Amino acid sequence: MKPRPASSLASLLVRSASLLVPRSRRADWTAEWLAELWHVGHVSDTESQMSARPVAFAAGAVNDAVQLRAHSLHAHLARLRAFLQPGAPARCLLLLAAGTLAALSLCLALPGSRRVLLPAPYRHAESLVLISSSGSTDPATPSIHVADYREWTHNTAPLFSDLAFYRVADKTFHLADGPQRRLAVAQASPNFLHLLGLASASGTPAPALYLTHAAWQTRYSGDPRLVGRVSDIDGASVRIAGILPADAWQLPGSVDAVLLESPAMLAQLAPTARGFAIARIRGAVFPPPRDGTRFMVETRYGVVYHYDCVSLPRLLGQPFSNVFLVLFLASIALPATLPLSLSEAPIRRGPLPLFTLPRRAAFLLAKAALVAPLVLLSSIALTWGPSFTTNTAFLIQFVTGVPTLLFAFRWTLHDQRRRCPECLRRLSNPARVGQASCNFLAWNGTELLCVRGHGLLHIPELPTSWFSTQRWLTLDASWLSLFTEPSSASPEPI
Amino acid sequence: MPAEAKLSHTAAMILQAIHAGHVYGFSVMEVTGLPSGTVYPALRRLERDALIASRWEQQSIADAEQRPPRKYYRVSRTGRLTLEAAWKRYPLLERMLPTPEVERA
Repeated sequence: MKPRPASSLASLLVRSASLLVPRSRRADWTAEWLAELWHVGHVSDTESQMSARPVAFAAGAVNDAVQLRAHSLHAHLARLRAFLQPGAPARCLLLLAAGTLAALSLCLALPGSRRVLLPAPYRHAESLVLISSSGSTDPATPSIHVADYREWTHNTAPLFSDLAFYRVADKTFHLADGPQRRLAVAQASPNFLHLLGLASASGTPAPALYLTHAAWQTRYSGDPRLVGRVSDIDGASVRIAGILPADAWQLPGSVDAVLLESPAMLAQLAPTARGFAIARIRGAVFPPPRDGTRFMVETRYGVVYHYDCVSLPRLLGQPFSNVFLVLFLASIALPATLPLSLSEAPIRRGPLPLFTLPRRAAFLLAKAALVAPLVLLSSIALTWGPSFTTNTAFLIQFVTGVPTLLFAFRWTLHDQRRRCPECLRRLSNPARVGQASCNFLAWNGTELLCVRGHGLLHIPELPTSWFSTQRWLTLDASWLSLFTEPSSASPEPI
Repeated sequence: MPAEAKLSHTAAMILQAIHAGHVYGFSVMEVTGLPSGTVYPALRRLERDALIASRWEQQSIADAEQRPPRKYYRVSRTGRLTLEAAWKRYPLLERMLPTPEVERA
């Protein structure tokens, strides 16, 4: 039979409305409505009814579909609310994850802590070393004489493929139309930036000045016309060759600019002036030891000199590796600070469901795995974010990191002990039971309840020989009628 | 039972219609005079609360009669109990939509 236009329109209406129906029910719903529509079209008596009835009937499909969609949304929202209601394990993990994410964002926002977290920005950084005099307590203190550097440029070719030198000095910086400023300038050998991979070998000929990104932003408001201009540094004319990328300066010393000196200018420095030497080692003849520090021995005029060649990535990553030390110290201190045993000595009338113990263990591990980075990232942001001096930062990192992490681990365990072993929700409705004056005659303490009716937790006020630690009392199914949650009720009347 | 208390007159009428042997949506519409936009959503809710159950007609029967298969509804045990409670609440319900046995009597 040829379909009538009204039937086709009604069919189209049903099929369009079916798009509102949840996917899992769509096929069944559409089949029912189309079947009913077929029957509606075949029971009409007159031609006029036939044209009107299917469309009017199919209009009801829209209402049906809308109600199904609304019910589906309501059910999803109810599930989400139950999933995230206070005390739910998912809510706890989500809050911890949000805190960890916030701490990570803070670390990445602060320049000091960002440098700690991100890898060194230098080309082939694994083969770069910072040379310092052996015995120097801090490799970040200048300990290399200019005279040593000059000599090494001639006799260390078998060890180093490239060698550069810099020293930090305060200079008076003056632009033609600007005020005089005092800048901390790294006076460096001409190959310095090329060695780090921050400029090409055929760059601007020395002398050339490169402003750090931070100094360019803060002192010159990011003025792009600065590049190419000639400035006056302590009376010498120097062209501003460029701006270093953000966070490019991570070497010892706080500087506003890098001045690539010509060899002639470098030769004018006093031989005893101290600075830093950076070298790119030849891996084959100078293999890396386990701790990342190589040693160089030099005999000069019968005197033996020792130098440390500290791996640059290791030096820059030192604050991050301290995090593991903080984690280790907190972990070994944890058992000593727990006055109670970790077991709950549960009283069970029957075995717990099969996946209860693995779920509990996974939840505990997930909490610990989220709380540790939260604390450690916060300590990195606190200590390295505001750019403290190295020694102060290390001290603050330990002083704040270890106790905070210890507290966080203790909270993790304490929170675990206050959760239902079956559904992992926080126990609630605390009730005082007994009297302290009757402690030796009867039980005295606090009773907590699982809102889903899985059981009760008894926590003694004073540990006694017969009730030394908290006990979990499992409630059987006969109690469940007392614990119907509001969310399980019918969402709407029939 | 919460479902009993919440059964509206319309829902009770639809449940009664199914009990009276009007086992698919269109026949419920015809016997109750309710529009499709009321009957079918009510059928979904009754089925969700297990007061009625549905099944599809066998394809072979529908093929033999050259029409699409229909979805049939029947009142469940819980639905029967709810309906009995609704009869007390709405005394005219049985007289409006009598079951075949009542009609014969």
